[in-house]
Amino acid sequence: MTATPKVQAADATRSGQRSVKVSRQGPSFIMALPAVALFGFFALVPLVGVVVISFLEWNTVRGSIEWVGTSNWEFVLGDRDFTWRALQLTVMFVIGSYLFQAPVALLLGVFMAGQQKYRAVLSVLYFLPLLFSSVAVGLTFQSLLSPNYGISAALDFLPLPNDWLSNPDLVMWVMIFVVGWCFIPFHALLYQAGVRQIPETMYEAATIDGAGRMRQFFSITLPQLRYTIITSSTLMLVGSLTYFDLIYVLTGGSPANAVRILPLDMYIEGFSSHNLGNASVIAVLLVTIGLTMSLLLNKLSGSTKMESDKAGA
Amino acid sequence: MARTPSPTACIATLSAASLLALTACGNGGGDGDGGDASAWILTGGGWPQIEDDFERWNEENPDQAISVEAYENDAYKEQIRTAVGAGEAPTLIMSWTGGALLEYLEGERIIPLTEHTAELEDRIHDSVFQNGVIDGETYAVPLNDVQPVVLYYNQELFDEVGIEVPQTWSEVEEAIDVFNDNDIAPFSLAGGSVWPALMWLQYLTDRHGGEEQFTSIIEDGASWNNESVLFALETIQELGVNGGFIDTYQSISAAQNEDAQLLADGQAAMLLQGSWVYATVNDDFPEFAESGNFGFTTFPVLEDGQGDPSNIVGNPANYWSVSADADEASQEDALAYLSEHLYNDETVQNMLDAGSLPPLEGIEDQIAETEDADFLEFANELVSEANHFQLSWDQAVMPEHEQALMDNLSDILSGNITPEEFAENMDAATGV
Amino acid sequence: MTHAASTETRHPDAGRALDPTQPDGGVEGTKGFGSTGRGTKPVKPYQSRNVIGGVLGWVWLGVIILPIYFIVITSFRTRQDLASNNQLVPTTEPTLTNFQRVIENDFFHFFTNSVIVTLSTVTVVLAVSVMAAYYITRSTSWGGSRIFQLILLGIAIPVQATIIPVYYLIQFLGLYDSLWALILPQIAFAIPLSVLIIVNFVRDIPNELFESMRVDGAGEWTILTSLVLPMAKPALMTVGIYQALQVWNGFLFPLVLTQSRDVRVLPLSLWEYQGQFGVDVPATLAAVVLSAVPLLVAYIFARRYIVAGLTAGFSK
Repeated sequence: MTATPKVQAADATRSGQRSVKVSRQGPSFIMALPAVALFGFFALVPLVGVVVISFLEWNTVRGSIEWVGTSNWEFVLGDRDFTWRALQLTVMFVIGSYLFQAPVALLLGVFMAGQQKYRAVLSVLYFLPLLFSSVAVGLTFQSLLSPNYGISAALDFLPLPNDWLSNPDLVMWVMIFVVGWCFIPFHALLYQAGVRQIPETMYEAATIDGAGRMRQFFSITLPQLRYTIITSSTLMLVGSLTYFDLIYVLTGGSPANAVRILPLDMYIEGFSSHNLGNASVIAVLLVTIGLTMSLLLNKLSGSTKMESDKAGA
Repeated sequence: MARTPSPTACIATLSAASLLALTACGNGGGDGDGGDASAWILTGGGWPQIEDDFERWNEENPDQAISVEAYENDAYKEQIRTAVGAGEAPTLIMSWTGGALLEYLEGERIIPLTEHTAELEDRIHDSVFQNGVIDGETYAVPLNDVQPVVLYYNQELFDEVGIEVPQTWSEVEEAIDVFNDNDIAPFSLAGGSVWPALMWLQYLTDRHGGEEQFTSIIEDGASWNNESVLFALETIQELGVNGGFIDTYQSISAAQNEDAQLLADGQAAMLLQGSWVYATVNDDFPEFAESGNFGFTTFPVLEDGQGDPSNIVGNPANYWSVSADADEASQEDALAYLSEHLYNDETVQNMLDAGSLPPLEGIEDQIAETEDADFLEFANELVSEANHFQLSWDQAVMPEHEQALMDNLSDILSGNITPEEFAENMDAATGV
Repeated sequence: MTHAASTETRHPDAGRALDPTQPDGGVEGTKGFGSTGRGTKPVKPYQSRNVIGGVLGWVWLGVIILPIYFIVITSFRTRQDLASNNQLVPTTEPTLTNFQRVIENDFFHFFTNSVIVTLSTVTVVLAVSVMAAYYITRSTSWGGSRIFQLILLGIAIPVQATIIPVYYLIQFLGLYDSLWALILPQIAFAIPLSVLIIVNFVRDIPNELFESMRVDGAGEWTILTSLVLPMAKPALMTVGIYQALQVWNGFLFPLVLTQSRDVRVLPLSLWEYQGQFGVDVPATLAAVVLSAVPLLVAYIFARRYIVAGLTAGFSK
């Protein structure tokens, strides 16, 4: 998973206001050194490395390395059908996952924030998927959705399909569902925490004004949750770009091409085919998409905030 | 953790964590003193016999012990090439020969074995042994059973619908109709694993145009846009559409032997698979194996095809090579194992008892005495009378093209691309 | 929008609209944590019944429970039992042989590896991130914000993308197939998010506190340990729990950076069990169940802390 939230929107404002009063003498750089060194060496160096490798023809078994200019780029972005399909599938997967996870997590979060005892009990159970690794979840759904075992065998009196994981028209939806199964609990928790922070007085005032449930939800709950929504959305969207392991496991390691999204495509090209150059081109694509998406979200959340600021003034 | 009161404690935690990790890493790198040989094998099929064989070797030669690790087929292929490339290969490197062996040799990753394997060469069928010989030097020796691909069937289902096991392609088409009318799947196929479909592609190409079709592609760099290959791909897509393959074929995994299970459970009438499946069925579905309904035969004849019907496809065997990156002591242990222990009497007997056929000369009498004599005699005859034994294409091609082959075949199975597009994509990937 | 607007007036600093401590006025150490988790002051949003939420809540319960129920009951079956009975009804002859098989297959060894990797990674991440956060928020030179920007870059990079160079880097360092190979890169990739969350907390420590400590002659290490650390505790909880879950359950790094049994961690061992057990679905699922037990135990005993800690840092 490796989710990646960003709350910079909030940061920007804060640092803007804080920077006015600066203390005379800050801590020494030694404080930042370990983090910078570790991050630089194991994250930034490889980042540069992946760009370099994308211009190489590198066969580790033969021990041959050759600078081939843009030829990997031309092949991956040109002749290679898989790239474009993987890109399409990635877009579909990211959007599909978001449209499934965001509303369900929001509604569940609001539900969980309620006071009734049974809701607290349910909340305890909702957490369970977070305890399973993606491999465990993959193996679980693999057997549950297998044509021979699981629900297909148990519910064979129902007109259910039994080719959940093989039918190219179905498998993408199954993946979106399973990924949601894993991650909705976490986002629901975020929303639950967010809802609990909304002052009760706002609802009391609204009730006195005669606002109904729906109205309260849209005019109090949603606006009050907007920073939670931004955090959670960034996590979901950028996170979807990294869902590799679940799909890899769920499709048995030799995945159907129907769910071969970019991270998986990169893994296969790099570690099954050992075409390191081509895989690195895909990796650079992934990085570019990740960065662009984060920047866009940042912009988007920034402008939303400005509007609400105006509304508040 | 968060309550640590002093900076020293902070640093202490850091180093404690490091130390903790360090001590645990001790086992990773190897212990140094001499024999540290290792071997990776696969799971399933006849591999448990190989594992037992190593165990006996280790008991008899504790100072030359070889540590063994078993991998699932796909995982192995992924890991081994990375490990060899990194100079981290096990001492004994298993391959199917073909493109991978050539690449190991080019990268000087393996050492010649000729001096140590003269005796083995005399005992092993030449056609099998020669696969490991490059330019007169032996680089790989067979280690297990011959693995031709054969057609398995469930006799009970044929009796049920009242037809014979098909020997020709028109009989296959007839059988498909009859089984479909009776709601029985004609062929089980682990399409989810893709490689079982390669067996279909290979047999159909060979029966249609003979072995020289693929040879011209792989050796002379001819285009994949080949009449016989296109015919085979079209036929595979037809079988997927017209109910030849079981309707869930795209999600069935060979890694879990689901394809064999469908045959054993009576859900599918036939299964085209490697000879190792015979042992799998014996182990995993003993009721079916003992029922007398478990049958096997050759791939049907294509009436107007050019290929020799005695041709077979599959894996002549798996092979051991010795890593050039291993230290000398480990290499010596591995070589000793190869020259002194490979195909020893006990192991050969165990292989035969498990229904696996070692590629050895003059074992007909031994075969006749086994429980699985029927199958082993059939396989032995198949192998010795074959005009040509085609190595699996995924192994025959250069390793960097293997994935492209499997990916495009997977797209053929799902109907994503046409046979012509398959040829185009393969030409692009292999730079034809 | 009238109500929303009126709140905005009360909290003109839009960035802090969600800060629960603002109305209370105090920046005490337990902020965030207390109000989200302990439920000391949780607010009842609705008086009337939440029908949509209620229906969804029960449906979702089914969605969550069914797969877990399935793996648990299946792990007690034999293979024959699985083939011949309804798969959603518990077996009448439960067996423990599947679990025995998994445990005999070095389960505890893999478990120990996972514990070592997770504890080491999280400890180091917490230590270096809190130090970096202190530097970033209090640094007077241009370096602080530059470093912050650089580290934030890491949040937008999907980890997978750099796995190939990471692999060869680890190889180059001679760390391939060791626990180090899992610990070091995972620390690096956990740093950006951890620093971001902790920075958000450290920023809210009033300047006066730093200054008064400095006047008292406290050095930077003392400030770090006796001011920054206690104030950032909720953030550290969040980072610790979140990253522990990530590392404990991580699959890609072990898959690529290790291969031998000696250094195998739990998620990878599951994957290997599957290859090893093959057609034996109950044994594979028993391994799945066992792999979740350690976290389940942790969850049962520390549920409040885990749930509250997980969200405290994110809600800022």
